[in-house]
Amino acid sequence: MSPQIALHDPVFRAYFVVVLVSLVAGGGVLAFVRFILKRETASMFKTYWSWVLMAGIGLIVVFLGRVPTIVGVTLLAVFAFKEFARASGLYRDWRMTGAVYAGIVTVGAASLISHPRGEEPGTGWYGFFVAMPVFAIALILLIPILQNRARGELQRMSLAIVGFIYMGWMFGHLGFLANARNAYGFVCFIIFATALCDVAAFAFGKIFGHHPLRTEISPNKTWEGALGAFCVAMILPWVLRFSFPFFETRDLILTGLIVGIGGQLGDLSISVIKRDIGTKDMAATIPGHGGILDRIDSLIYAAPLFMHMAGYYHPLR
Amino acid sequence: MKKWRYDSAPDLDQAPLDRLRRFPREPDMLVYGLRSICALIIRGLLRIYNRFEVTGHENLRTNRSLVIVANHCSHLDTLCLLAALPLGKLHRAFPVAASDYFFQRVPRLWAAAVLVNALPFGRHSRTRKSLTICRELLANPGTILIIFPEGTRSTTGEINEFKSGIGALVAGQDVAVVPCLIEGSFRAWPKGKRLPRPGKLRLIIGRPRSYRSRTADKVELITITNELREAVIALGKGGTRSPSALRKKMRLRRLT
Repeated sequence: MSPQIALHDPVFRAYFVVVLVSLVAGGGVLAFVRFILKRETASMFKTYWSWVLMAGIGLIVVFLGRVPTIVGVTLLAVFAFKEFARASGLYRDWRMTGAVYAGIVTVGAASLISHPRGEEPGTGWYGFFVAMPVFAIALILLIPILQNRARGELQRMSLAIVGFIYMGWMFGHLGFLANARNAYGFVCFIIFATALCDVAAFAFGKIFGHHPLRTEISPNKTWEGALGAFCVAMILPWVLRFSFPFFETRDLILTGLIVGIGGQLGDLSISVIKRDIGTKDMAATIPGHGGILDRIDSLIYAAPLFMHMAGYYHPLR
Repeated sequence: MKKWRYDSAPDLDQAPLDRLRRFPREPDMLVYGLRSICALIIRGLLRIYNRFEVTGHENLRTNRSLVIVANHCSHLDTLCLLAALPLGKLHRAFPVAASDYFFQRVPRLWAAAVLVNALPFGRHSRTRKSLTICRELLANPGTILIIFPEGTRSTTGEINEFKSGIGALVAGQDVAVVPCLIEGSFRAWPKGKRLPRPGKLRLIIGRPRSYRSRTADKVELITITNELREAVIALGKGGTRSPSALRKKMRLRRLT
């Protein structure tokens, strides 16, 4: 991955067009609702402009190459964890938060460097990357011992471990995907597919939604929205088959399941956390979306599953 | 199982910019780290680019709350005063900054809130409330307030009249008031210029004063304010010689 390769890569160029077309189509639909149906769309337009901005930033970062992509994912993970820490109160414990930050940065470093003995450069250190939770959890468990403290430590340790594993390591898989031989296809597909599914769930829920999906977790989500998003996710791998021409039918079905079910489970699992903490959004970073964590929630769940599925059937390198 | 208590940040639902505007700001590890790194870089730049030097360092060595009072003709003044503080006290030091100038547009807001940890002060309205916030901060030992009582940057390099708010803040309070004089900042970066020039900067830190026994009536406030202005001006005339001036003198003596 580098700007020169991206310019000539058919997959990246195709995604550039796909994203552009989707944004224009989305804008067109919103304009139709606003000017023809005369409905109130101010909040939807706010969300839409944030989508445009995010798509632009995402395309530029992926275009710039492997290192910017991994650094970008690591930064997103850092800020996503920061939101989690601020919402859960963990941010008051600087040593715990510092340990998790250090762990997240190390995950990024493991994706960047290559194995010290042999192997080609620019492939990431897979073994270390996969073993990272061991070292990070060891560090987190060490902190109360060093401070000679026990009261309330189980809660802090648990929050720190969830924060690291979920926002740091699982999301870090997206960065590691940039090391794959088919990096453009994998990275662009998983980001685009989860984003489109989120929009589909929202749109189907808005139009057809009647039956609540999980009343205790996220009262606004409906079965209709979830099924609509699932259908979109099942069709998408075939539509975007150029992203991974070597995928067989079995792989395409698995990809659809991971995006369609995994993505929505990610959404719901962040909702569980938010509901327990008692906040509506994790933060107010992105206008119309909430926090960074509210935006990347489905990627967190889907990206690692997708990477390990793809890597199992077709080695990443 | 008992329910866990989550101690969420109170500014959770605010947009990032609004979070920078509010005061007191929530402690943020990433902001503190960035501020410390930038402070180190600024210190290095001031030393090299402006040959910055400090006289009277020992006057800042205390665990009490401090009010640093200084003349003001440049943005460099704040940076100089911050650079004279120990790095560990950086996040407890609040330069008092005009909220109408520093807390509106993004670049200045970001610099004020993240880089120098400024306290938004209402110059034209809500002045009383701002003074109350200052007093509450000072009640916590170890707080450092950096105040330019002229209220704005001097356009001539002369020290203008002090506003009496400074008298109201320190009268009858158990805080050390440290008068400081910054020399050379007007030449290096006057109001209206885009970038600083490599002019020499000198900071003279005076002896701490106390106004604990003074009452807060109108006459006293004006007296205190004038006393402080005199104290700052006196630093420029007084016998405190800068290290470089001393060295120059020694060299001259050796030559003759």
